[in-house]
Amino acid sequence: MHPTLAVLTWSSLAALAAVLGVLPAALDVRLRLAWLGWSNALAAGLMLGAAYALMAAGLGDHVVAGGAGALGGVLFVHATHALTGTADLDLNRLDATDPAYGYQVILVDTLHAAHEGVAIGAAMAVSLPFGILVAMAFAVHNIPEAAILTSVLRARGMSLVKTALLAVATNVNQVLLAVATFAVTAAAPAALPWAVGFAVGALVHLVMVELMPESYREAGTVSIALVTVAAMGSVVLLVGGAW
Amino acid sequence: MSGWETALVAASITAVATGLGALPFLVVKTVTTRTVAYAKAVAAGLMMGASFGLVAEGAAAGAAQTVSGGVAGVVFMLLTQRWLAHREVAFGGITGASARQMIAMVVVMTVHSFAEGVAVGVSFGGGATLATAITVAIAVHNVPEGLAISAVLRPGGQSVWRCALWSIFSSVPQPLMAVPAFVFVERVRPALPYGLGFAAGAMLAMVLVELLPEAFEDARRATVAVAASLSLVAMVAFQGML
Repeated sequence: MHPTLAVLTWSSLAALAAVLGVLPAALDVRLRLAWLGWSNALAAGLMLGAAYALMAAGLGDHVVAGGAGALGGVLFVHATHALTGTADLDLNRLDATDPAYGYQVILVDTLHAAHEGVAIGAAMAVSLPFGILVAMAFAVHNIPEAAILTSVLRARGMSLVKTALLAVATNVNQVLLAVATFAVTAAAPAALPWAVGFAVGALVHLVMVELMPESYREAGTVSIALVTVAAMGSVVLLVGGAW
Repeated sequence: MSGWETALVAASITAVATGLGALPFLVVKTVTTRTVAYAKAVAAGLMMGASFGLVAEGAAAGAAQTVSGGVAGVVFMLLTQRWLAHREVAFGGITGASARQMIAMVVVMTVHSFAEGVAVGVSFGGGATLATAITVAIAVHNVPEGLAISAVLRPGGQSVWRCALWSIFSSVPQPLMAVPAFVFVERVRPALPYGLGFAAGAMLAMVLVELLPEAFEDARRATVAVAASLSLVAMVAFQGML
């Protein structure tokens, strides 16, 4: 498969995973907050593991460029949350019907997809297995995101099909930015440590500012810690052993 | 100097380096709840970053052993937390929750040190270049560890002097373990991934069950997250440079 096509395929799969978040509503299963917490914790662990693996394998001798890129990634995520007024937003209101919350959820889902795309592209530029790993971490993350969006939209009477389409649509920029980042780093290899650093910073900060505090509130500390450690440990072990 | 004496000296240097982590607290000493929360966030990031390195190192030596060590570390930490939760403990005249956390911190860090001591000792069996690299790496890596300990102890009311002493104390297992590890390299080496996994599991459990949720509770979420993210990235980048 052509490398760019692989990036397109895997980032599209990650975006499409959002459809799974609509499933509980389609099957008429009542969402439980703890499930959201555990899936967030799973995504958090996968992302932290992927961030470490990216940094260990993708930077080589370019620690300074990577560190600067990581600083950029952290500040970028921080700024997007602060500037859009979503810094303290919790994606865990299952019975919310107010349009303001709905818009905020769409906004946050879309913003997340942007740096997720950069991360997938940078990881793909390091190696295909890395790219797949990062894309899968985001796929897991996209499911609870979509589940919350679904519960808001369904409460407002939107059809399942439209809900599913909108959930996927919030992730479209993920695909675009993945391909763009991959193209840029392929054309200018000197940009790779910066892109990897940015991806690492964005991944870590997304986990810290969003997934951890949210999932603690959804499922308590001990179970969240266990899920996170298990996911993170598996990734680091896998990477430590395989690459 | 014979081989084991060199290992002892090297591991003592790494242990004393831990005490340097208390020095920043000569300058900084504000102890509001929010400051404590930020210090916890920084400690959480540093410890998480350090545990990645341990797991990766353990995986290189044996993935299954690292996993068993890691599971034991998590279970050990959760049991310690539960056990300490039901006891009225005193630590330097302070009782209650903060004393529990200080003890947990020192215990975790001390247990963590065993594996590092083993690493220093084993590296001396692997030649002078490897030994120098590992010794320098662990000594420098101990400084933020001392900082993490002091970040928990100092806001709890301990003096800078005692922070430094407890930091060094947490690394005493290094010289104690380095010598037997050097002498019995072949016998201790198979235990290394278990030790690395155990240390990583215990540290991560402490970060995720205590430090991070408490930091989020006591201070602004965005700022806590920035502190934790930056210190995590800095710790990993720092390890990458060595």
